Formats: sequence, structure tokens, C-alpha cells
Amino acid sequence: MKIVACYKIVPDAQDIAVRFDGSLDLERSEWIIGEYDLVAIEAATRLAEVSAGSAVLLSAGGKELTDSKLIKSALSRGAQELYCVVDQAVANADAFQIASVLAQALKKLEYDLVICGEGSSDLYAQQVGPLLGSLAGVTTINAVSKIDIQGNAVIVERTLEREVEVLQLALPAVISVTTDINLPRIPQLKDILAAGKKPVTIWSVSDVGALPPSNVQTVSTRAPSSIERQQVIYEDASEENIKKLALDIKAAR
Amino acid sequence: MDFKKTEEQELLLESLRTAYQRANLEEYFKACDRDHVFPEKAVAAMVDAGIPSLGIPEEYGGTEVDLLTQVMVAEEAYALGWPSLCWVNYSTEVDDILTFGNKQQQESVLNYALRGIKPFTLGFTEPQAGSDSAAMATTATKRDGKVYINGNKTFNTSADRAPYLLCVARSGINENPYKDFSMYLFPMDRPGISIEKLDKIGNNMCGTFEVYLKDVECDPSDLVGEEGKGFYQLMKNFEIERTTICSANVGMARCAYDEAVRYAGQREQFGKPIGSFQLIQEKIVDMRIKIENMQNMLYRTAWKRDNGQSISIDSSLLKRYTGQAAFSVIDDALQIMGGIGYVNDCRISRLWRDQRVYRIMAGTEEIMVHTAGRALLKEAL
Repeated sequence: MKIVACYKIVPDAQDIAVRFDGSLDLERSEWIIGEYDLVAIEAATRLAEVSAGSAVLLSAGGKELTDSKLIKSALSRGAQELYCVVDQAVANADAFQIASVLAQALKKLEYDLVICGEGSSDLYAQQVGPLLGSLAGVTTINAVSKIDIQGNAVIVERTLEREVEVLQLALPAVISVTTDINLPRIPQLKDILAAGKKPVTIWSVSDVGALPPSNVQTVSTRAPSSIERQQVIYEDASEENIKKLALDIKAAR
Repeated sequence: MDFKKTEEQELLLESLRTAYQRANLEEYFKACDRDHVFPEKAVAAMVDAGIPSLGIPEEYGGTEVDLLTQVMVAEEAYALGWPSLCWVNYSTEVDDILTFGNKQQQESVLNYALRGIKPFTLGFTEPQAGSDSAAMATTATKRDGKVYINGNKTFNTSADRAPYLLCVARSGINENPYKDFSMYLFPMDRPGISIEKLDKIGNNMCGTFEVYLKDVECDPSDLVGEEGKGFYQLMKNFEIERTTICSANVGMARCAYDEAVRYAGQREQFGKPIGSFQLIQEKIVDMRIKIENMQNMLYRTAWKRDNGQSISIDSSLLKRYTGQAAFSVIDDALQIMGGIGYVNDCRISRLWRDQRVYRIMAGTEEIMVHTAGRALLKEAL
């Protein structure tokens, strides 16, 4: 089975500072692979291993994507090859634009299954996966918490609020996976060294198609305002204290 | 000159940090320290992340990497809070056996090292032979095609866990002790070996023992390297050991520094953070200078070794300086913490107890003057 995992690079949230006006200072933040996308990469790699298939990576973004350390980091997690669409215009693209570019790039690749994370680690709109599936005109499923291969069939589970849905996918398909599907592997030195030797293909937007106009206007990005800690301590988990905690939370809202 | 880490080194350190954080070790180490228990669970997490394989040749299932990267990884682990004497990458033991061991010895030692198990405890110090190594009295006597070992060793770290003893003994073939020592590698469960645990100030997670050897039967093939060359082999061992253990000095100092500086920025007295007082700032600045110096010396020594240059002087300078500098950094960190630093719940108290021995073990700081001092004078002539 040929599998494609999509990923996005995001500023490392650990080092994002909030300015006095609530705006975000990304100055000290290094670019990293989104944590939900690491789960997608892991799912693709494991599936390729059990199906004796292949896993390749696909991304679209600004020139930061081509940073050789980031590329090695992505390829040290088991996939064989990496494709990315690099264009400054894509760096600030909205979810629909990104999905369009990815869908155009997918046309150049052979695939049975595309795996996305449940959302990006920065904006977490959870849109790119479903948009990509519908733009590509293939089966589109989100919230996948388990993938199984039975013969030629791919069976997935979706853990919904009251039930677990078990579906057989009509391939090709684009799925988005939840974080409980796996724990991404930790690359070892030999994986890191091997990553530097794997093939990387870089396309511009015009190589794959064109960037559609954006329908989204970002007015501002602000951190939620914080409030003073209340310093309330509940001595134990007694019935009474739990009720008190619940009341305090309600009152605080 | 390039002080930047390579991308591969940076990614490897990221993997280490991820493995460390995922294993959730803080409280676990505290409990192991309190109960005097070796942190098996933490070692298992590092084995899963492939860390012990660093520096072991590929043909033995490892990943070849230079000493510089190995000390960087160890230093980072200690900086995160990894306990002293428990690191999983047995660079010194691996180097010893790759340099002097036979094929069979290499296979078994490297196989243990690959699984994060300390392959052997080094049997060299004896009650009457500490800094004066030549006073070692343990004997290796040949009889009926076998070799019998008799004597007492002491300060053997991990003698309860290490599957082997690398024992230095007199062969009785040369009156000059320096030309009479030989090394033998044999399993710790051989008849005639008994151990007794020492009760010490710190390093609770790693036991230290006396080892009694009574007519321990060895095969001539248990010899490591050449007969009568044991002392020379030991000196080579010390160069590597002195370099690799110093990663603990740098890392533990960083660990204490990070915690103390964070605390100085938060702890308020007299209505402001104590870090705003210049007496505290002076400590922080001097601690940082020592850390930078230690790190530079450590990396340079490892780099020289990787580039085939002699580190006999460098390893002694490094050992003496980082032992003292780390001690002073950790002591200052404890001082910044105040009473909290002296409480076992504070990690710095463990670092303070544990690091002290680095000024003694693997060559005291006074012996470092002895080894480097003469060589430096000779160098000047």
C-alpha cells in the first residue's frame, strides 16, 4: 500500500512569548513539526511496515520547510521520501488554500491512503484533512483512532461520543487521525543519520498548479487574557470538596 | 572554528529530551534515591530510545559515533536530572574492550553495553592501593594451565549488577610493578567472589562495594590485552574515563544552575525577587562562567581524542577543573535555594551529595596535579 502522510511546521509553542497587548512574539520560537502531524507520520510509517508498502511525506509552506534539520527530523521517523511545495505565498495561506495546494501535489503522487493529523499544532482548525479529501474527490474520514489492514481492506475505527464506528475504507482515501492512535517513535541516531540520505523533492506552487484566492481575513491573533490565580486549596477529594470545586468553577465563569 | 552542534547532534539531543520527558522520571528518581534503588525503569526508557548503542560499532548492533557526541548526550541527560553513576552509555568500558579485548570478550561486553547494562566493574583500587596504583597486591597465579586470582578490591561501583569484573592483578613475572600488572575479565558469579556493600554519603542509586577474590579460577583466555601490560592499559582507560565522567560534572552543574536561577527569578524577599540582589547575581554570573569553561574543556578534550590527538594532559586538567568547578556551582546553587536546597525534596541536595565524589574517584584532583604537572613541565622544555 502506498501511503502519504501530510505535516505542517509550526513555531515551537514552548518558546512563544505573549506581549503586553496579547499579541504573540515568535522571535525565540524554532520551527518544529506539528505534534499532531507526528502522529500522522507514525501511523503512515507503521501501516507501510505492516503492509510492506511505502510511506512518503508531503507538506506545503514557506521556505522554512526546506531547513535541512527539519527535513532530517521529518525523515528520521520512518518515511522513505519527502515532497514539499515551497512558496512564500503558502506560508500564510488559509486552510482551504493549503488543502488546494496539497490536493494539486497529490496528483503528482501515487497513493492509496493519505493520513493527516487531527489538526495543526498552531491554529488547530481541523480543516485541512477533510478539505483535502473532498478536493481530491476521494473517501474522506476524520477522527480515526485505529487503522487495521485485513487482506486488501483497510478497516478504521472512529471513537465517537457514544459509540465506536468501524468502517471499511473505499480506497483511495484521506483520513485524519486522533492522537490516541499511537505514540510517535523517538528517532534514534541511526534513523537521523539515514534521514540525511533520503530523497527530497521540492516543488513551487506553479510546479503543481496555482494558489486559489483566500477567503479568510485574519484580523488579529491574540493570546487569551489571563486572570490572577485564586490560590484556593481543597484538602482532599471528599464529596463536599468536589461540590465546592464545581461551584467555584461555575462562579469563576 | 565552529561552536555549533551538527544537525544530527541537535536531533539526537531532541530525541533524548523526548525520551526523558515521556518517561516522567522526576518523582521516580526521588524515590530511588530515598530507597537506595538502581533506576531500572529509567534505564529501560533510554534503551528503548537506543541511547546505549551510541559508540558501539555497527557489527555489534550499535551506531558508531564520536566521543564528542557521546559526552554531549551524557551531559544533556545529567542536565535534565539523570542520576550520577547511572548513565546508560558505557563509553569507557566499550572503549577498553574494543582497544584491548579479544573477539569473544568484545562480543559479550558490547552485548551488555548495548542493553544499557554496565558490563563490568573495574577492579583496580585496593584498600592499600588508591592513588598509589602500583601498590596493588592482588595476584594472578598460573597453575595447571589455569590462572588463580587472589586479593581484595574496593570502591567497585555496581559490583552487584555488573556481570563481569575487569580485574587488574600482579602476574609475578617482573619485579617492576608497572611491568607486572595484567588484566583479566571474568564473570562476577564465579566461585570465590564475594562482595560487601559500602555505606556512603551519596550516589544512593548506584551501589559501591568491596570485592573479595579467593582462588578465583580463570582461563588464560580471560586475559585482556597483554600480560604485563595491565598498567599501561589502565592508563589508557583513565584518559577515556576521566573524559566521559566529566560530562556528569558539566551536566549536574547545569542542572543545579538551571533550577537555582529559575528560583532566584521567582523567590521574593524584601518585596522583590532575590535575583535582583547583586550578591545573588554575582553567584549566578560566576556559576555560568564555570559552566561555559567546563563545557568548552570537555568538548575540546573529546574532540582531540576523536581527532587522534593525545589527551593524557587534557583529561587530567579536565578532571581536576570540572570536579572542582561543578562542586562550586552546585554549592552556590544550594546557597541560592537557601533552606529548601538542603531538603532532600529539592533535587539540588542530591546533586550536592552525589557530585562530591567526582573530586575523588577516577583519580583524585591532587593526582591530576601529579599527572598533568610533570607533563606540562616536560612540554615546556
